[in-house]
Amino acid sequence: MLLDYLPKGRFFNGKITNMREEINNIKNGAIAQIMSAKDVSELDNIKTAYLGRKGKLNLIIKNLKEVPFEERKQAGILINEAKNTLIEQIINKKNTFKESARKWYDPTIPGIKPQKGNLHLVSLAINEISKTFENIGFTRVRYPEVEWDWFTFESLNMPKDHPARDEWETFFIDAPLNKKYGQMVLTPHTSSGQVREMTRVKTPPIRMINIAKCYRRQSDVSHVPMFHQFEGMVIDKGISIVHLKGTLDYFARNFFGSERKTRLRPSHFQFTEPSFEIDISCNVCKGTGCRLCKEGWLELGGAGMIHPTVLVNGGIDPNNYTGFAFGWGVERTYMMKSGLKIPDIRLIYSSDLRILRQF
Amino acid sequence: MDLLIPDIWLREFLITKAGSKEIAKYVSLCGPSFERINKTKYGTVYSVEVTTNRVDSASVYGVAREASAILHKSGFPHTKLKPFHVDSNYSFVKNVSYLTAVVSHDLCPRFTAVLIKEVQIKESPDWVKERLESVGVRPINNVVDISNYIMHEIGQPVHTFDYDKIKGSKMILRSSRKGESITTLDGETHSLPGGDIVIEDGKGRLIDLAGIMGGENSAVDKNTKNVLLFVQTYNPTRIRKTSMFLAHRTEAATLFEKGLDTELVKPAILNAVKMFISTTKGKVEKNILDLYPKAYKIKTAKFQLDFIRQRLGVDIAKKEISETLKSLGFEVMWKGNTAEVYIPSFRSTDVCIPEDIVEEVARIHGYHNLPSSLMEGNIPDLLTGSSFDLENNIKNILKGYGGVEIYTLSLVSKNQAGAGALKVKNPLGNESEYLRTSMFESLVFAAESNAGEKDPYHLFEVANVYIPRKNDLPEEKLILAGIFSNTEYQTAKGIVETLLEELNINAVFTPEDSRYFLPSNRVLIKVENKSIGQLGNLEKNDYIYYELNVEEIRKSGRKSTPFKPIPKYPPQIEDITLTFPPKTKIGEVVQSMKLCNKLVSNVELNDIYKDSYTFRIWYQHPDKTLTDKEVEGIRNKILKEIKNKFGGIIKS
Repeated sequence: MLLDYLPKGRFFNGKITNMREEINNIKNGAIAQIMSAKDVSELDNIKTAYLGRKGKLNLIIKNLKEVPFEERKQAGILINEAKNTLIEQIINKKNTFKESARKWYDPTIPGIKPQKGNLHLVSLAINEISKTFENIGFTRVRYPEVEWDWFTFESLNMPKDHPARDEWETFFIDAPLNKKYGQMVLTPHTSSGQVREMTRVKTPPIRMINIAKCYRRQSDVSHVPMFHQFEGMVIDKGISIVHLKGTLDYFARNFFGSERKTRLRPSHFQFTEPSFEIDISCNVCKGTGCRLCKEGWLELGGAGMIHPTVLVNGGIDPNNYTGFAFGWGVERTYMMKSGLKIPDIRLIYSSDLRILRQF
Repeated sequence: MDLLIPDIWLREFLITKAGSKEIAKYVSLCGPSFERINKTKYGTVYSVEVTTNRVDSASVYGVAREASAILHKSGFPHTKLKPFHVDSNYSFVKNVSYLTAVVSHDLCPRFTAVLIKEVQIKESPDWVKERLESVGVRPINNVVDISNYIMHEIGQPVHTFDYDKIKGSKMILRSSRKGESITTLDGETHSLPGGDIVIEDGKGRLIDLAGIMGGENSAVDKNTKNVLLFVQTYNPTRIRKTSMFLAHRTEAATLFEKGLDTELVKPAILNAVKMFISTTKGKVEKNILDLYPKAYKIKTAKFQLDFIRQRLGVDIAKKEISETLKSLGFEVMWKGNTAEVYIPSFRSTDVCIPEDIVEEVARIHGYHNLPSSLMEGNIPDLLTGSSFDLENNIKNILKGYGGVEIYTLSLVSKNQAGAGALKVKNPLGNESEYLRTSMFESLVFAAESNAGEKDPYHLFEVANVYIPRKNDLPEEKLILAGIFSNTEYQTAKGIVETLLEELNINAVFTPEDSRYFLPSNRVLIKVENKSIGQLGNLEKNDYIYYELNVEEIRKSGRKSTPFKPIPKYPPQIEDITLTFPPKTKIGEVVQSMKLCNKLVSNVELNDIYKDSYTFRIWYQHPDKTLTDKEVEGIRNKILKEIKNKFGGIIKS
């Protein structure tokens, strides 16, 4: 019936006016049908009949080749207008039907999520720290957590009974003494990896980043008996304080953000000479001074130029090589970056999912 | 060492135009750290931290000496240090009439004492009391206060005896014998370990635990008439040993154990004498006993100009080096580009090697004034055979499948540690006394701390266990351990299987019972017949536990998978449902099916309904499409084998 309306080969007689008339006729016929449609499926049929691949409007397009070239463009515009009008009319008509007549769909429904996992804060921190140093040629290593006194203290220029040892609240292991290396301890700092790394590499250059578990005999809101440190150590010919500063500035910019600055202050460690305390500019007050910092600076940790005795203990000639080292807490450094405030640092080591899932 | 330094007291020695904020700022950058500026009723009081190697600056005068050198270079050129005024009307002699002293000089390098008669014990004048209060010391009486005042002012401990309580006017300073005991003036009785420095009087009584605290039996009290003023230096190692052993940490001990300057003794005793005269009206003997056999001989150190420049990384001028060292009390003599430095007595223990000179020059120049740049030079080779990337990979895979990573304490209780575990000598408590040899208990404990959680969860950790070895450090074995709760066994196993697949591990699961697991509920995870881990249902709380040895995973994982061309011909895929007798191990059935014919490219368990198991089987020939007839042949072979081996039959 509808398809009979315009028999093939009788189009337009090559006249644009006729063509316009034809298109208008088709359009008006379609609109009349849309207006009287009763449901969605009737509308879908109308859509197919007029707009489908073999629908009436497309048939006209196929026959356009019979129209003189200069009029084709005009015809194309008319057909497109007609199509757009019909699409609009069909949508409007669909929207006038009752809700029940429409195919109901709710695109706002919450999705079904897979179970979400979490990496621990310490893993995230270690990854970021090691990546930052690996980018400037540092090699990541890990040395024993249960370590000999020799590597922990003695080789680091801290003889037995030295008061400097007080600063490390050390756990001792109930095991026989080793004739060469002394007592077995739980290493209280990653500096115990310094002489081990020198012994492993033998001939500098050395650029080490040693990240490991450490233990100290203290437990309160700001101390956990088990924590993590990262120790950087560089040994080569001609290494000076300038390179230590360069490395720490690089770390501060890339880890904490380009606006952060570091500064060195005098300090003392038996295994470095000179020794430094490293501060980083406060991110809260931007270095002007606030109650979270000391006059605009926050303490990051210790560093220094490796003491010649330590180099000798690691089998490296201090006349040929110099180096620097630094060792800081992973948890503390990461918390300083993220601005994370944890009232009791021991909570980092809680197994409570309600805490773990926050990281 | 943390000190309180009142501004007004500091300025008695430090003549400067710098305000308190400037003092704190500049001195902190180049010397002792001014941690806080406290406003108190005694005026400004600084909290200062002095490093342990710089006992010479652990006093008002010591801080003033550092501050004057630093401020001088920090925009306050007129800053000056005012030296002590020392009265020299007294003779320092080796013998005095009022005391016989026998001194072991390896214990006591310098021994001084002087008798002060007819002291009037009373309260100190207000200015003394206020100064002591402002540094946190409670005033006692004019005699005791003098000791504390001098110690805080110049960093030399001073002691006073009631002279009349020293029997026989005799002192023997010696090393203690084990088991000797002494009651110190705080009323505590100490049984001595031996080797402690003690003083015995003429009746053989111990009257002083030298360098730590005086004896109760010789203490000054309100009835004291004659005082023996006593200033010494002691062998630092002995003091430290005794003080640590007895856990008796006095201010005097923390100074003595760091090795005090023997040249400080004289100004200390003279200043104390001066205070005695003014505040106690005591009459001081003109002869001061001074046993000092090895007087300080100026120590020297040599360094090259280039050495300093190389370590600093800048071309610092000779003149600046000389001026800096001079301002700190050193003398410098240049011969060409070699310098000889004369080290003052108060720096003789901490300045020994050229690196120490570098520190002095660099810090006063200002570390903040040095340039900053990354090192050049070759980059070292990476460590081969490390497992860091693998660990990250494992953690990320498990996180992707919903795992939550935990870090648990390696120190556990005896029950949790496993047999033969290493013990900590000085644990914080019973619950953290041993180094774990297995992750198992830690993971179960972690799961239990989430008992309230009703939804499925999966906790995992990658950490070391510590396996003791004879005469060596323990083996630190890196283990991946995980625990599932509220989870089906198949789901948990699927995650472990997928992890192994992603890591390119070809593992076989072999049932083998073990402690803590329900009977017939555990498998060993094996690669090429070597066990690399385990998995199973625990007896406790329906938990599912697994662990894998990370090092074994690293060794077993194939680095790359060989390229397999995509089959040119499609496989035939079909589902077969079989029923089995009870207690059939379906894992083994699947394995059997796979191995039955090489044209079977894959077999998966698709569904379980009661005792019926639906398997999906892929038949694939590399060079052609299999006909129905050929598939039928293989299928019959499979069915026959499964029937013979496991008693499985087609569901009718």
